Amino acid sequence: MKIPRVALSIRAQLLLVLTVFLALPWLGVEYVRELERVLRDAQERTLAGTAQAVATALHNRTRLFATPPDPIASFARERAEERSPSGVSLPPSASPEIAQIIEGLSRTTARIWVIDRSGTVLARAGSLLSETNGATASDSTWAKVSGATIGRLYKIVLEQPVEDFSDDAATQGAPRGRDVEGALAGILTTDRRPTSDGKATIVSAAHPVWVGDEVRGVVIVEETGNAVLAQRNRAFERLFNIVLAVLLVGSLALTAYATWLSARIRRLRDDAERAIDDDGRVRAPLASSGAGDEIGDLSRSFGSVLARLSEYASYQEKMASRLSHELRTPIAVVRSSLDNLKASALPAEARVYMARAQEGLTRLTQILTRMTEAARLEQSLSDVERVRFDLVPVVTGCVEGFCLAYPAARIAYSPPSGALLVDGSPDLIAQMLDKLVANAVEFAQGRPIDIVLSGDAQAACIAVGNEGPPLPEGMQGRLFESMVSVRADGARDAPHLGLGLYIVRVVAQFHGGEASAANKPDGSGVIVTVTLPLAR
Amino acid sequence: MRRIAIVEDEPAIRANYAEALRRHGYEVATYATRLDALAAFRTRLPDLALVDIGLGDDVDGGFTLTRELRALSATVPIIFLSARDSDFDVVAGLRLGADDYLTKDASLPHLAARIAALFRRSELLSAPPASDDIVERGSLRLDVKRLTADWQGKRVDLTLTEFWMVHALARHPGHVKDRDALMRDANIVVDDSTITSHVKRIRRKFMALDPAFERIETVYGMGYRWTE
Repeated sequence: MKIPRVALSIRAQLLLVLTVFLALPWLGVEYVRELERVLRDAQERTLAGTAQAVATALHNRTRLFATPPDPIASFARERAEERSPSGVSLPPSASPEIAQIIEGLSRTTARIWVIDRSGTVLARAGSLLSETNGATASDSTWAKVSGATIGRLYKIVLEQPVEDFSDDAATQGAPRGRDVEGALAGILTTDRRPTSDGKATIVSAAHPVWVGDEVRGVVIVEETGNAVLAQRNRAFERLFNIVLAVLLVGSLALTAYATWLSARIRRLRDDAERAIDDDGRVRAPLASSGAGDEIGDLSRSFGSVLARLSEYASYQEKMASRLSHELRTPIAVVRSSLDNLKASALPAEARVYMARAQEGLTRLTQILTRMTEAARLEQSLSDVERVRFDLVPVVTGCVEGFCLAYPAARIAYSPPSGALLVDGSPDLIAQMLDKLVANAVEFAQGRPIDIVLSGDAQAACIAVGNEGPPLPEGMQGRLFESMVSVRADGARDAPHLGLGLYIVRVVAQFHGGEASAANKPDGSGVIVTVTLPLAR
Repeated sequence: MRRIAIVEDEPAIRANYAEALRRHGYEVATYATRLDALAAFRTRLPDLALVDIGLGDDVDGGFTLTRELRALSATVPIIFLSARDSDFDVVAGLRLGADDYLTKDASLPHLAARIAALFRRSELLSAPPASDDIVERGSLRLDVKRLTADWQGKRVDLTLTEFWMVHALARHPGHVKDRDALMRDANIVVDDSTITSHVKRIRRKFMALDPAFERIETVYGMGYRWTE
């Protein structure tokens, strides 16, 4: 099974890796939850402690619980409550003495009830509502900005403490929850219940008040969960702010790093691609990087590979001329020996061998000449004087010459109407055309050859097409290399060294142009095209 | 009897050439190194020297030897015979005062023809010119016997090969001579680009005397012709 390849840049990959850090907020949530639990426990314990303290103050004070509630005082208080503008009508304290005691113990956000066994409220102090909390509002700009953006988000996501919950006690009198039941049974009990509208949670602790062995009353201490909630939210926000900042800075840093890294790799890639031209020749050595890391190493090894490739290429290009030079001397030995032999009287049968030897020698010399032609051409390029000339008569003259030289070939020629001025050497152009046409004639094998000379504002184009066999795949670019030939082996009447099209390229490049070969679109043959920039 | 010196480091070639030239009736002395040859030249000058450029480890020994030989005699005909055929070597050799430059592709009959021509030239330089051996084409005057060319009355210093090429072109003005014909007439076997550089050198020699010289026309794809 093949996994489909997804093209992901290094930057994208690093950002993908960065998603691992998204686990950080989750860890934070877990931590804050734990914190909330601890806080709640602490709140319950505090409430229980308060309830116990109040109850301790009321233990064994028989008088306080013996007296039945004073109906008149109670009535007066009820009247007063009715007139109260707040509209909150809490059950009044029936026992001023107890009220006095618990007043001193009350806390700002806690409410303390004292009830007797029947559930009658004996005293009450404090309120569940906290005063407006101004301490949290910070004036720093950051706080404002974050409050405006992230803060809003937090408000949506997190449960916010609500102050306008409906207080059950206002309508139902003293609470009668599980905690009160427990306290009446003589056990300190804590409870947690939602308000009837569900907007807030009330935490309460009830402690029995003992008179002798009897539970005569219950102290209930209530508080909303808002304080814990607010603290949890604050912790949440702080944590998230930090995590967000870290994530932001981290991803920015990693993105920058990845950008730098991929820019270096891209530069290396571009350098490497630029170092080799379309024909696979090394144009210029790679400027090796001085960086000490792996990319620097890569660049250096690229550089050395290219240097070796270039050495090899120039070795290949020079091999022909070196080889021919080395072969010249032994051939001269053979030739002079044969010449001497010919001068002496030879028997008739020896003459046959003599003729064969000379024929072979002629071919050998021909090969040598061709081998050195390209090298000599390259050497001579530096001395060639450039003149401005019209390409049209040169090509036309050459084509006329080819028609004489290759009477069997059917050459069609279409020249352009205007002149095509080129800076360069007409002799070299003629040499190049000679190679182009010789090549085409050989592949066409009697089929037509068409030579088209055309030009536009920038360049002249010489296209030589033949109807020979198409080029093998992958050879189009290599054809113009030294000693590369696509001819089938065998049945050769002339030596082929793959230097003809190499000469074509050398001449084209000397004129600032280029040579290319391609199969005809319909596969009926091959077109070799040389484009030459026009003189300005 | 004419005496030819062959300076060549390859013994087989040296022996073959010596034998062939002896058969043509010359006296031949052979040397393998520059110093041997120079020592012999100091005692007695040859009538013609055939010099290889690379002499063993002495890569440019032939060039050095030519310079030294020219210092001894300004007139001794010198032919370079080398495996090297780059334009650079040809030009360098001719500039040093060699009369001709041949690659080792040259066959022995070709070599013998050249040697004979060079001897004829040096022999006849002093004799009065015979009118039947003169080719005149406008300002060009070729003495076929002496192998000399004059343009507008001034001597053009052509090598043997160059003279034969000019002669082949000027004999039939207006006719295109292709490269093969030029090679045949000049007794050489070289490739097309060498013919091109020969023609270029000939033009340059004429232009040194007459900057307006334009008689040798290139007919692209076919060859060259002499125009009048």
